[in-house]
Amino acid sequence: MCHECDLLIRNQLIEEGSKIECPRCGHVLYRQKHNTIHKSLAFTITALILFFPAVTESIMSINMGSNSQYQSIIEGANILLLEDYYLVAILTFMCSVLVPLFRLMILFYLTFSLSLGLFHSSFFWSFRLYHYVEEWGMLDVYMLGIIVSVVKLSSMAEIHPGLGLWAYAGLLLSSILATHTLNSHEVWQLLRHKKQQQTVNRGIC
Amino acid sequence: MAKSLSHCPIADNQSGKNAGLVLCTECHSIYRFVANVDMQCTCCGAELHQRKPNSLQRTWALLITSIILFIPANTLTIMNVAYFGNDDPSTIMGGVILLLQMGSYPVALVVFTASVLVPVFKMLGIAMILLSLKYKVNLTDKQRIRMFRFIEFIGRWSMLDIFVISILAALVNIKGVAVISAGIAATAFGGVVVLTMLAANNFDTRLLWDYK
Repeated sequence: MCHECDLLIRNQLIEEGSKIECPRCGHVLYRQKHNTIHKSLAFTITALILFFPAVTESIMSINMGSNSQYQSIIEGANILLLEDYYLVAILTFMCSVLVPLFRLMILFYLTFSLSLGLFHSSFFWSFRLYHYVEEWGMLDVYMLGIIVSVVKLSSMAEIHPGLGLWAYAGLLLSSILATHTLNSHEVWQLLRHKKQQQTVNRGIC
Repeated sequence: MAKSLSHCPIADNQSGKNAGLVLCTECHSIYRFVANVDMQCTCCGAELHQRKPNSLQRTWALLITSIILFIPANTLTIMNVAYFGNDDPSTIMGGVILLLQMGSYPVALVVFTASVLVPVFKMLGIAMILLSLKYKVNLTDKQRIRMFRFIEFIGRWSMLDIFVISILAALVNIKGVAVISAGIAATAFGGVVVLTMLAANNFDTRLLWDYK
């Protein structure tokens, strides 16, 4: 059954590296990729290591006359909070820090335990949550925001990139790779399979 | 690399709903639909619906709210630049014009696209899809689903302006020389972005094929 138009489609086996598209609306139904969990785990670990320097270290600093000032991602949200723009501050913090971190943590939890062959019923809701918040992680948009700010400020002051910027670029790259290498279909199939095994072992079915 | 295989539907335009089936949109399990029962996926625990409940009403409500919020978002101050004590409040369009005057056309184009074109296009697009469903206008399904996918894809990018403000406000905060602070329109604009994203989320694409 197609996700986007509800068309019934016959299930068939396909070869490695190919994909199935819905004939009616063109939605990609299934992509055959294997061994994605290990690859994704590697990228997730990289992203998690880079995460903390990326949000707490300074992204860039400016020089204006004798004054200099630097900024990190956390501070960007914090300054809005200090100016009493609570909603905007929460929104910024959520999209640029909380959701990306949360998704990476779920991804790590899942891929790490699945690659060790562990299984727990919490995998199901955590993976659902992972997809649910997908749209709200906006690391890529923030990157564009940094670029635009640099241009806006370039006439006013001298700008120097900080350590946070490099960490941030690495974080962006590895988190994109981590999410795109993972084949959700494979994960769901694996989870379903494990659940069935578990119920058989317990003698419920 | 990835080649697409021709895939045959079971019957011509037979939808899962007509066949009495329901798909778990989370984990892709398929179940036989039972009416008047709160169905739950036994695999992943998600609620099962043949169509998202009240999809059209919710989408309309969120869309209308975002259109209303769009007015203060564009007319009020979004950012205030105090340069040596002189306040210089600017609106969204004001910021774009300033970038144009600075001569950075590509960046002006990016900002204009993200903070004006994208929200307008999104709201118009969703309204068009909803109206075309209501009045059964002849748009082909392919056109509509393409439009919707595009809307869903570009939605997040209008957060750009909010991020830029948060970066600038934190960076340029030198008392007496230059202070950049956010304006009230930032809240309204943030609201527009969130509401349009929620509106797109609440719309069930499968309805496009139901109304035939």
